[in-house]
Amino acid sequence: MIPRLLYLPASIGLALLVLPLAGLLLKVDWPALPALLLSPEALQPLGLSLVTASVSTLLCLLLGVPLAVVIARSQPRAAGLLRALVTVPLVLPPLVGGIALLSLLGRGGVLGNTLELAGLRIPFTTAAVVIAQTFVALPFLVIAVEGALRTAGIRYERVAATLGAGRGTVFALITLPLVGPGLLAGTVLSFARALGEFGATALFAGNHVGVTRTMPLAIYTAFNGSGVTTDQAVALSLLLIAVAVIILVLVGTRRASVLS
Amino acid sequence: MTATLRQDVTALLAANLQLTRGGFTLDVQLTLAPGEVLALLGPNGSGKSTVLDLLAGLATPDTGTVTLGGATLTAPGRLVAPENRAIGLLGQEPLLFPHLSARANVAFALRVGEAQLNAASARVQADRWLDRVGLAGLGSNLPGALSGGQQQRVALARALAAGPRVLLLDEPMAALDAETAPFIRQLIREQLAETGTSAIIVTHDIVDAVVLADRVAVLHHGALIDEGTTAAVLAAPQNPFVAALAGVNLVVGTAQDGAVVAPDGRTFWVRPADAAALSPATPAREAPGSGTPAPAAPAPVAAVFRPASVVVHTERPHHASPRNVWSARVRSIEPGTGGVRLRTSGDPEVIAELTPAAVADLGLQVGSTVWLSVKATDVSAYRR
Repeated sequence: MIPRLLYLPASIGLALLVLPLAGLLLKVDWPALPALLLSPEALQPLGLSLVTASVSTLLCLLLGVPLAVVIARSQPRAAGLLRALVTVPLVLPPLVGGIALLSLLGRGGVLGNTLELAGLRIPFTTAAVVIAQTFVALPFLVIAVEGALRTAGIRYERVAATLGAGRGTVFALITLPLVGPGLLAGTVLSFARALGEFGATALFAGNHVGVTRTMPLAIYTAFNGSGVTTDQAVALSLLLIAVAVIILVLVGTRRASVLS
Repeated sequence: MTATLRQDVTALLAANLQLTRGGFTLDVQLTLAPGEVLALLGPNGSGKSTVLDLLAGLATPDTGTVTLGGATLTAPGRLVAPENRAIGLLGQEPLLFPHLSARANVAFALRVGEAQLNAASARVQADRWLDRVGLAGLGSNLPGALSGGQQQRVALARALAAGPRVLLLDEPMAALDAETAPFIRQLIREQLAETGTSAIIVTHDIVDAVVLADRVAVLHHGALIDEGTTAAVLAAPQNPFVAALAGVNLVVGTAQDGAVVAPDGRTFWVRPADAAALSPATPAREAPGSGTPAPAAPAPVAAVFRPASVVVHTERPHHASPRNVWSARVRSIEPGTGGVRLRTSGDPEVIAELTPAAVADLGLQVGSTVWLSVKATDVSAYRR
């Protein structure tokens, strides 16, 4: 029951999404690929990306789930304001996020000066990578979980309370399982966003090998680098795509098994 | 006001609650004896569910108190949390936790409720509870795999398994189909009796009150307007809502020469035995449930007659032995318990009940003008 006219833009849209990836696959120098991927120039950024994105996602869960609960259970006006504040980093160009983080935590920044006096320097460290990734990924988790919480409502929580369950018990045994699918979706989105984060990281954390050079920065460096070849960039891109696909498949099967 | 706060030392639960929200004002005093089941009757919007929320601690009154077994649960500056009240709630919808099996739903109540069982014994006890409500063997099912009636059975088992001192029931049969509702009603009755649980059931279904309750309180516009044993309240309805529940017509008006004059001027002659009581000089028959004599004139009086006593004619009856004859328009034609119910115009509306064949014979339709008659001997009357 779809108007046939819709198939044309739909096909173009799909092509726009798929063809560039196909083009990438065609550019891959397959014989050289194993060597490129197993080189330290590939493995080191991959390891750093996986570690930092995992830590960022964990931070998103620890901070984002409580934030989502607070927003979902606030009065409408307060909830609207909080939701708007959470959404701003989402619509902000990541580069602007990086400048903002530098302004706060960098040398001469409001908090940066204080931290410096305490002997702490955040910018251009691995910690800065994690902070930048969390900054851009947190809104995804909060919005997904908050939506799920609002959909679930408070009726089950009220029933649980009348049965004698304290707030902590209700949260752990009723609220969290009820928003499970939303939580899972939010976690995946956050991880993917953290894994792909480039702009804020580049400005706030820099591009130091082994410290802040994550996969996206390694790809950028390889692409822009000595001007010899873009093969390394293509290979790293392929690796990043593979990681994303593996995660999607893993989550997909988990989800299917949860639903069955 | 017939219902006042009784300083009843034997009361298990005593509540005195005031709340104003927008244009709605609630002012209710009620008590519940140990083991008693009280039905709170009232039309939609009368504040029934609000009363339950206030008792359960899910809402806060503007002023007032709730005490349970001598302990103060709600008072100015004090609100014991719902989880520490030992007041359970079973609503219209079962609200079984969708991610937990039937067994796990009941076990949850056994773990967090009065019993505080460990996980293993909670599972064992949960199966016993499911057995009690007729669901043996279905413990592993997720709520989604159970019918509405089965879900409500699990919800009842879960609510009772928590060991509440008072169970609040908010129209627990309202979401069930007509075939399932009687079974659940019977089950609630049995389980309340077996466990000796005191309960307040909110309903607008008279059957719930008749089957489940020892006592009835009628809530209207946020205030209790009638209270007493179920039989007494239904026998002498004090307002149109209760009359409709009891299945009778109620005309509240003024007394005139041993008749009741309705607000629209219709005169209803009543049976001789009651006519005398309508005279202002004669002391009034005391309404059941009332602790005080009826106030002095102009006291309203009420005429009560059954819909089946109303005879419907298409033309003015000539040799009319009934003294009460009037014309009206048919407002609606609905299925009733004893045939077809005709709602007819007037203030108040009068309901006539007749057989479907009679409706067809008379060619009645909504908007038809009909003549109605009712024998004076079929009309009882009392002072309000």
